[in-house]
Amino acid sequence: MEYKGCSPGESVLVDQACEKVLTELECDFVGLALQNTDGPDVKWHYAAGNSNEKYKRITVRYGKGIAGKVISTGRPMYVDNFPENIAGKALEYPIMLAEGLKHAYAVPIHFNGVPKGVLLIGNRSEQPISESRQSTARDAARTLEKKLNG
Amino acid sequence: METQPAKKNISSYIIQSQEDEIKRIAQELHEGVGQTLYSLYTGMQFIQTAVDQPEMKGYIGDMAQMMEKTIQEIRLLAVELHPPALGTLGLLPALKSYLKLYTSTYGIIVDLQNEGKEVQIREQERITLFRVCQEALANIARYADTMSAGIILRWKPGKLSITIKDKGKGFDVDAAMKNSAGIAAMMERMLLINGKCIISSKIGEGTSIDITLPLY
Repeated sequence: MEYKGCSPGESVLVDQACEKVLTELECDFVGLALQNTDGPDVKWHYAAGNSNEKYKRITVRYGKGIAGKVISTGRPMYVDNFPENIAGKALEYPIMLAEGLKHAYAVPIHFNGVPKGVLLIGNRSEQPISESRQSTARDAARTLEKKLNG
Repeated sequence: METQPAKKNISSYIIQSQEDEIKRIAQELHEGVGQTLYSLYTGMQFIQTAVDQPEMKGYIGDMAQMMEKTIQEIRLLAVELHPPALGTLGLLPALKSYLKLYTSTYGIIVDLQNEGKEVQIREQERITLFRVCQEALANIARYADTMSAGIILRWKPGKLSITIKDKGKGFDVDAAMKNSAGIAAMMERMLLINGKCIISSKIGEGTSIDITLPLY
């Protein structure tokens, strides 16, 4: 079963929030992944700036992929100059491959203090994600957290 | 100086040893570590029912849940390493099962078509065909930039042919042959089972990988 935390109205709000992050951070892609309510798998639910619909079908296991790793560790993760500077194989980063991202920064989203989601910002261009943009992404994650926690 | 048959034997030995080792690890994970963890899991459930202290009960419950997740992880890892369907049910069911995982991992939809009736082939041939298909699909996920792909298996008298196609970015086959060990390994694997692997690609139009295996 998939995450069912949002009503259709709330979904629109989350979509809008992703679009806002995309504009504010001037990045190429914004995605929101959430852990399923009745299992450990993590699925990409919302995106802005996406180049295709592949993200909707991507599910990663807890601890796998960027989303699974960020949720399992509860810490942000920066992927710089993909696939050059990565730990493991490029195939272990499905969202980077699906969206053709070169740089990405992912922040955990907490529900009742437990990491259950991930906000990811990414660039397809050679433009790395600066420390100030990373900080803004963390702030955006906190705002989104409040929205999702209702 | 090494002769070509000697080189072929060495390649065959290395690939076969690697496959044997992968299979051994997968079986050990599934039947060894997995089973032991399952015994611990049932033991924890028993302790949970026997304990009265609510805090301790909850704590043991959490541990049992974590153990259950670990068992599931180990099972999935074992299947990923060496699909059990390959040994028991055959190539087609193993591919079907892998494609489900592939689509849910990379978001790429793969249309699988089968023409003719699957015939029994040797395990080494099944594993080789499966690994070549896996490599071709991995290349699609990595480089093709496409939403969909297709696989057609054709079982004919005396010959099995498999075509893996995508309408993605395409690439320069000659240049890739020089730089990519993956493509060379696909061809080498097929040669070792007396099969063939032909790769054709056009930039902007997509790629087609045709593998054939004589059936006796």
